[in-house]
Amino acid sequence: MPKSGVKSMGQKAAENHIAAVREAGGPFVTAADRTRMPMLFSDPNLPGNPIIYANESFLTLTGYDREEVLGQSSDFLMGPETDPDARTQIEASFSGGFYDGHAEIRYYRKNRSTFWAVVFNGPVLDARGDVTHHFVSFLDVTGRREEERHLRLLLNELNHRTQNTLATVQAIALQTLHGVADDSAVELFESRILALSEAHRLLGKENWEGAGLREVITSILEPFGLNDGRHDRFSLDGENVRLRPKTALTFAMVFQELATNAAKYGALINGTGHVHIAWHVELGAQGRLQLHWRESGGPPVRPPSHKGFGSQLIERGLAKELKGEVSLDYGAAGVACHIDMPLPREDRRRESYG
Amino acid sequence: MDSTLPDRRVLLVEDEMMVAGMLERMLTGLGYAVVGPAIAVDEAIEMIDDGGIDVAVLDINLDGQMSYPVADELTNRGIPFVFATGYGGGDLPNAYEGCSILKKPFRRSGLGDALAGVLNGHGSIA
Repeated sequence: MPKSGVKSMGQKAAENHIAAVREAGGPFVTAADRTRMPMLFSDPNLPGNPIIYANESFLTLTGYDREEVLGQSSDFLMGPETDPDARTQIEASFSGGFYDGHAEIRYYRKNRSTFWAVVFNGPVLDARGDVTHHFVSFLDVTGRREEERHLRLLLNELNHRTQNTLATVQAIALQTLHGVADDSAVELFESRILALSEAHRLLGKENWEGAGLREVITSILEPFGLNDGRHDRFSLDGENVRLRPKTALTFAMVFQELATNAAKYGALINGTGHVHIAWHVELGAQGRLQLHWRESGGPPVRPPSHKGFGSQLIERGLAKELKGEVSLDYGAAGVACHIDMPLPREDRRRESYG
Repeated sequence: MDSTLPDRRVLLVEDEMMVAGMLERMLTGLGYAVVGPAIAVDEAIEMIDDGGIDVAVLDINLDGQMSYPVADELTNRGIPFVFATGYGGGDLPNAYEGCSILKKPFRRSGLGDALAGVLNGHGSIA
């Protein structure tokens, strides 16, 4: 804390010293005075390494007068909510070496309000290599952090509204169709809305930057008995390839249709069927995603007599939206779907999720 | 296992009337008797005061008003409840950590499992 009244030994020494610094520094002192970056110099050759120089930007940022700053130890802006680890690291850097970590540190102004800054500090050496001063500069990131927080809140609100809107769509459909459409049509509609909701939830969790293919598959197949422990209905083999939002949404709807079909006519209709899903990315200038959905152990299947919404979505969604090639075979062994689609570099950033 | 518990009275707190209508139908289909829907905190608390509530389904955001006081009232009276929300669940205040959350939109079976879960949990405490 700044001391009032009696000046400490360090403060007096600092004030005597500052005139010398101004003279020796010439135009650099003027630059330091006027730059928008808050800066301090301290003198490690005086007891307690006191601050001997603070520029205008530093005073504006912290609300202190210059005489309240001079003579203080350079950690005087830290307080109870300053991260102790960052404090230890910065203190250690004063005994030689630099600190240019990217940690955002909480500091206190004179009025005890706080601000966040990224700090840089390091020694200033003379011609003989002796440390004459320590230099500390602060990048104030309070405004940026506030904007980020605000954006997160907005995005969270938007995600929430999307889910509520989907719940309203579900409610309208269930009540409009009740007694008019048959139950299986209503159930089908509800499942599709829920699949869309699940995909939106995954994307919302990641700020709409993308979603992992494995996560998309897992979330869609969960209601079909994936992970329910009783049956080994599914096997998944492939990395959590990163998909951009549009691709993730299309895949969610495609897997919903494939699984629904399997539950109605294919491998998921009995207790013995199995669905194997395997995929890999072929690297190269034009990367491609190869994905196989193979059903086995179900009753024999035959091609549908007419193309419904599901096969239309699979063939058209993948072929047109994602510029992929889809083959959908209704063999005696079970449905086999092969998807071959371009996956540009920016789409396949692989990330490991815990 | 039969996840429905017939003849239990469930308080429904939901400000979106179309969703409330769907939930009423789901709850009735699950064998519950529905009290409500209440669309605001004070209305919900009056319905709790009237007595006879076994369990509750609470929307969190009631047109900008949070339903937490209803959750507190239910907790004080030892009545179990499920939050039904479009929020992710990660933004629930710490005091409600561990509460049962049903993410909107959901199926009737999901609602049934969640209610049976809190009723069984409650039973084991009482």
